[in-house]
Parts: sequence; C-alpha cells; structure tokens
Amino acid sequence: MASGRKKRVLIVCGTAIATSTMVAMKVEELLREHGIEADIRRCMTSEAKNAAKDADLIVATTQVVDVAIPVISGIPFISGVGMEQVKQEIVNTLRST
Amino acid sequence: MDVIKSVYDFITGLGPSVMMPIIITLLALVLGAKFGRALRAGITVGIGFIGINLIIGLLFQYLGPAAEGMVKNWGVTLNAIDVGWPVAAAIAFGTQIGSIIFVVGLLVNIIMLVLRLTKTVDVDLWNYWHWAYTGSLIFVATGIFWLGILGSVLHAAFTLVVADRTAPVIQKYFNWPDLSIAHGWATASMLIVWPMMKFFDLIGLEKSAEAAQKSDLERLRERIGVFGEPVLIGLILGLIVGLLAYVPAGLAFGDLLSKLLQLAMGMAAVMLLMPRVVAILMEGLVPLSEQAREFLQKRFAGREFYIGMDSALMIGEPLTLTVAFLLVPITLLLAVILPGNRMLPFGDLAATPFFVVMATPFMRGRFWRTLITGIVIMIVIMYMGSIWTPLITATAQSIGYAFPEGATQISGFGNPFGWVLVMLSQLFFGK
Repeated sequence: MASGRKKRVLIVCGTAIATSTMVAMKVEELLREHGIEADIRRCMTSEAKNAAKDADLIVATTQVVDVAIPVISGIPFISGVGMEQVKQEIVNTLRST
Repeated sequence: MDVIKSVYDFITGLGPSVMMPIIITLLALVLGAKFGRALRAGITVGIGFIGINLIIGLLFQYLGPAAEGMVKNWGVTLNAIDVGWPVAAAIAFGTQIGSIIFVVGLLVNIIMLVLRLTKTVDVDLWNYWHWAYTGSLIFVATGIFWLGILGSVLHAAFTLVVADRTAPVIQKYFNWPDLSIAHGWATASMLIVWPMMKFFDLIGLEKSAEAAQKSDLERLRERIGVFGEPVLIGLILGLIVGLLAYVPAGLAFGDLLSKLLQLAMGMAAVMLLMPRVVAILMEGLVPLSEQAREFLQKRFAGREFYIGMDSALMIGEPLTLTVAFLLVPITLLLAVILPGNRMLPFGDLAATPFFVVMATPFMRGRFWRTLITGIVIMIVIMYMGSIWTPLITATAQSIGYAFPEGATQISGFGNPFGWVLVMLSQLFFGK
C-alpha cells in the first residue's frame, strides 16, 4: 500500500475502558511526534477479530488470537518498562505497511 | 483544624462532579504534573461523572418500569438491577472515602514497600476504586468515617499481598516479566478459586487432562460469540425482560411491539454508551496514573519489584473468554432459579471475563475446572449482591444519584473480600 495513506491502528484491551484508554493516548502522542497520520480506534478483545479487518496494526494489552495483521504488546505503555522499544516497533511497523 | 474540616465538608458537599476535579487537579500537581495538564485531567474526570449520571437516568427510564412489571406479573423479585462495574466504580470514587482513596492507596503501598511487606508497586490507580467501594459501603452502613478508611486500607493490603503470592503462577502462565495483578476483585476471587483448586485435586477431576486445545475453544467461541458483544447482550436482554414484563399486561399487539422494541434498543444503547462515558473518567485519571508510576519507580528503583497491573491484561486468554461467554446465559438462568435471589444481571454481563480471570491460570487452562469454578463464583457473588443491594442504593443516593421512587434498587455483584468486611462492619457497628 502507498505509504501516504492514513493508517488505522486498533487498540485492544479487556474492556475498551481502562488500559486501552491509557495506551490509546500514548500511541496518539507517539504518532503525532513522528508525523504519522492515523485513525486510532479502541475495542474489546472479544470484538478484535471483526474490527481487525479494517485495521493495519493492533496494539493490545491482552491476548489477541487469530488475526491477520501485526499485533504489538501495549503493556510497556502501562508498566513503563521497555517503552522505548515498543514505540520504535510501532513506528517501524506502520512505516512498512 | 476546624477551618480545614469546613473546607473539606464544603468540597465533598459539592458532589462528585465538582469535588473530583478539584481533588484530581491538586493531586496531579502534588505528584509533579504541570498546571494545565493537571487542570485538564480534573475537568475530564468531572465530565465523566456527569455523563455517568445521564446513563444511569437512561437505564432507569427504560429498565425501571419493566423490572417492576416483571415483579408484578411473575412474582420473580429480580428488582435489584445490576448496574455493572463502571457505575460501581463511579459511585466508589464519588464518596468522601473515594475523595481521598488515591492518597490512602498510595500511602498503603509505599508503607508496605518500605516495610518489605509487598513487592508490588501498584500503578493501576484506576482500580483503587475497589478499595474505595469497600470503604464507602462501610461508611454508609456504619456512619463511622475511620472505619470506612480502615476497610479501604485492609482491602488494599490484602490486594497487594495476594498480588505477590499469585504473581509466580500468572507470570509463568502468560510468559510475562515482573508483573503482578493488583486488582481488588481478581485478588479477592482467589478466596474461591484456591479452595476450588484444592477440591478438584481431591476428587481428581481432569487429573491427567491437558489444557484445553486452542482450536476447540475457537470453534466453541465462534458459535457462542454473540455473548461477547455487549450491544447484542443488551438487545436480547431487553427483549426477554420486555416479554416477561409486558406480555401478561394484555396490551394491544401494536403497543406491545413498540414497548418491546423500545426497551431492547434502550438496553443496547446503555450497553454501548456506559463504557464510552466511563472511558472519559478514565482519560482524566491517566496523567495521575503516570505521575504516580514515575514517583514510585524513582523512589523504589534498584529493588526487585513487581509492577501491579489491571486484571484486564489477562482477559484475552481464549479459555477465559470462552468460559465467560458461556457464563452469560448461565448467569441469567441462575438469577431466575436461585431461591431468594434479587439481582437482575445486566451491566456486568458484558464483563463476565473479569469473574474468571484468575481461575484460568490456576486451573492451568483446564476447561471443566474453569467453568465449574466460574459457576460457583457467580452463585456466591450473586447472593452477596442480593444481600448488599440496599447499601449500594443508599451509597449511590448519598452522593446525589437520583432514582425514581419504587421497589427497584441498584446493585452489583459482590466482592468476595470486600463484602465480608462490609457485612462484618454492618453487623457490629451498623446504624
């Protein structure tokens, strides 16, 4: 796909309330810093399989199975450990899709 | 001292939608956030509270009359509406106990870290609401503020200790680094999960069985997947309750149909809107959570510790999800057949995975053990919910949530640890 297209990032957590809110805010900040245009949506893990059909990347704070797009763990955004690596990973993945 | 007390009384008298913004702003400043960020966080939290009030109104507008119709027609006294954990959290944060829960929780955590009573640094500030809930209910039951605080402290200490003790099994099962689950409900569920585990070992159920196969679970989940979609749960539940409430009333067909469809859509709307509104509240807490994490990590750096997290991290586990979906119809059936039950399960039907998150790793992924444990948990916490319904309604009323007059009350499933503290307090010090 052309790299100029708007990216679609799906934030997945258990409830689409607690942890995903924090991760979504962080990812938004990150992409703004890197000038990557993206739509960020949140969903529950039970809805992930359907929602993944319209997304380029999943950042998940819980287990996601059976999807065809890349899944990156968002846990470092909450724990604070390994945050730099995961930021780099998200940027690289989005730039290559 | 009197001045401080009258200022404090004035602020808490303003109601949660004004009180919480002031407290969150101040606390974020104390923990080192910039003024603009702190203020925006506070205001966002206040908006969340106002939004939740709207949704509770919506819930009662639709479900209130239907629940009463159901009672009248069938004598099934399911007149305690389960408002779900998002509303319970808002109620807990909105009380006088809730107003200082972040200070209390952080102090308990810091003191226990210093005394080496725990290894968990709990950065999941959101879930401090469980401790506030226990404390708030004790305060409302007894009228003794310090007893409420003591309840919150005990629940916090319990959470941190159990988080430490359960961490090794969970880390191994999910292949995680140094995390623990410091969640006020999940840790309390160990009071049921642990004895169940011992019981299964004793009777030898699924003794040699391997963990359930992922592909089997996937097939099963595909068939029952409808129970994982909150909007569909709302719609179907609205239809069922509507049929029970309005069919015996002898309405004309057109009137009946319109009532049914309106109720079903109303319930679907509440299911979708509730989490959205609560997410606003959460958004306001994010800066606070981050400041607290930096604060704690700086001060306890270099020590071996676990980072305490939300049990939502474990919810995507395929077995947990599958069992949770099965628990939706099972819970509704239990609500009707359990003698003496008052709870009409609703809000938390979209959150059933939370009730079995701990069962899955401790049953080492075995299907029947996890499912049976889930059913036992639902039975216990539904009865707990029935019993503490008047207290929950009184607590919500004490912070200004208004309900229409009538037999219908609000409730929530019990917390196996908090409930015991609340009931003991009521027994010995009740008003």
